[in-house]
Amino acid sequence: MNALRAEFRKILTTKLALWLLAFSIAFTALNVVLMVYLVPTSARLVNSGQLLQVPAYVNSIVASCANASVFVLIIGIIGMTGEYRHMTITATFLASPRRAPVMVAKAVAYAVIGAVFGIINFVVSLSLATITLSGKEHAAIVPSESLQTLSGVILGFAIYAILGVAVGSLIRNQVAALIIALVFVFLIQPLLSAFVDWTTAWLPGGALDAVMNLTYRQGEATSGLLSAWAGGLLLIGYAIVLGAIASITTLKRDIT
Amino acid sequence: MSGNSVALEVRSLTKVFGRGDGVRAVSDLSFRVEPGRVTGFLGPNGSGKTTTLRCLLGLVSPTSGETLVGGHPYRELHAPLHVVGAALEASGFHPGRTARGHLSVVAASAGISGSRVTEVLELVGLAADGHRKVGGYSLGMRQRLSLATALLGEPSVLILDEPANGLDPEGIAWLRNFLRSLAAEGRTVLVSSHVLSEVQLTVDDVVIIRKGQLVNYGALEDLSSGMAARVLVRSPELDRLRHALEAATASVAVDPTGALIVTGMNAPEIGALANAQHIELHQLHSQEHDLEAVFLELTSSEGGAA
Repeated sequence: MNALRAEFRKILTTKLALWLLAFSIAFTALNVVLMVYLVPTSARLVNSGQLLQVPAYVNSIVASCANASVFVLIIGIIGMTGEYRHMTITATFLASPRRAPVMVAKAVAYAVIGAVFGIINFVVSLSLATITLSGKEHAAIVPSESLQTLSGVILGFAIYAILGVAVGSLIRNQVAALIIALVFVFLIQPLLSAFVDWTTAWLPGGALDAVMNLTYRQGEATSGLLSAWAGGLLLIGYAIVLGAIASITTLKRDIT
Repeated sequence: MSGNSVALEVRSLTKVFGRGDGVRAVSDLSFRVEPGRVTGFLGPNGSGKTTTLRCLLGLVSPTSGETLVGGHPYRELHAPLHVVGAALEASGFHPGRTARGHLSVVAASAGISGSRVTEVLELVGLAADGHRKVGGYSLGMRQRLSLATALLGEPSVLILDEPANGLDPEGIAWLRNFLRSLAAEGRTVLVSSHVLSEVQLTVDDVVIIRKGQLVNYGALEDLSSGMAARVLVRSPELDRLRHALEAATASVAVDPTGALIVTGMNAPEIGALANAQHIELHQLHSQEHDLEAVFLELTSSEGGAA
């Protein structure tokens, strides 16, 4: 319990979390605005003008807060690699020389922070979608669909934060870990999705879209996503595998 | 204040970094650090001091051998910060965190109250700067914050790695008195340094290592007596003096400036001998308390292990 309190205090005694929260909110707002105003006027898409009448598209506007997950990944990475970068890991393991409980405490603390980020970003996308859609002719925002998005954002963002911590403890160099994670999210994952169709559903991004009910990307319906349940289980699987590898290496590591 | 006396033990410790023929940082090292005394852990940079301390603190796993705190491995201690306070290096702080924030994180991890944070800040003279970010701290202030961190749990053992680095002379004097008072309370104090003179006035015992191996271990006053005392003598009648000394079974060498370096007789004996034989002396200088010279001789690369 002491280790968990210490992890929360670590997060709350620097300004990083607040900055990343602000960026994530701005990013979510940008996603909503693009999906409400720009995508439906796109000349590239067939029938783009009718998008706002498609229920799944409207629900995807609410679910577009999923894209803010990258900030949760970043907070996990910076939080973990920061321990090595600033050598605070020494103080951490001096206070709690049994390392397994420390790793568990870190995972729990970051999962909670991730879930809080998720809830806040969901509130932002839901309210901004409601405001910007009013006065336009649009399909209804279905409360039960939004509720699924909310449960999905809580689980998905908690898992993404844990994945960030795991990546950070495997790649201790902060800059390298951030670059690798961002290249994966913004380059490798979209490329794989675009050229090898079946990978979409099985990548972390596809699993997150499934669990959050985000079925439209760039104005087109995503094909072949897993069910929300399967997507959630897949995300948990990613967290367990990556988390276990990270924990095992951290337990044995010499802190020099 | 916990009055338990807790000794530190290093038993046949060996640490090799890397696989196969890696870097041998510590080699079959054994010593004991007693409560109620200040022990200096000395050796040149890169001699394995920090590795030994990190093994003691459970941060580095030994290749073989073991390290014990009060008879137990550090990793098995139930409330480690209440047993051992360690200040390993000045760089272990997040620059964006305030000193108070840093201490409150460590305090939380050991269930220590917020009022103790204020106490240790006052104790090390950082009370006025506790709200400032550590990124703006000088090296000396970071050393004080390291010390404050180590003291949070009112530990029975204090382990400080090069604590005098970055402190001004006033700070060093303060630290010396502070460590002496902790030892006087029955606590165990281990202070590492790469210069003997820095801790010479503070320590009771010394553990000296070179290339990861023990070269001297014992009370500070025994350090010089273990070595042959040397006396420097100048005289206009060098040859007569030399014969007289050698007849008295001292061994004599001539240094480049033309002075005699005598071992095997102390200064009063040499003076008496010269007086009895009416040999004029111009200088008679005992070098037996030049600990730094002894230390350098012990730790220099060509110096032999004692």
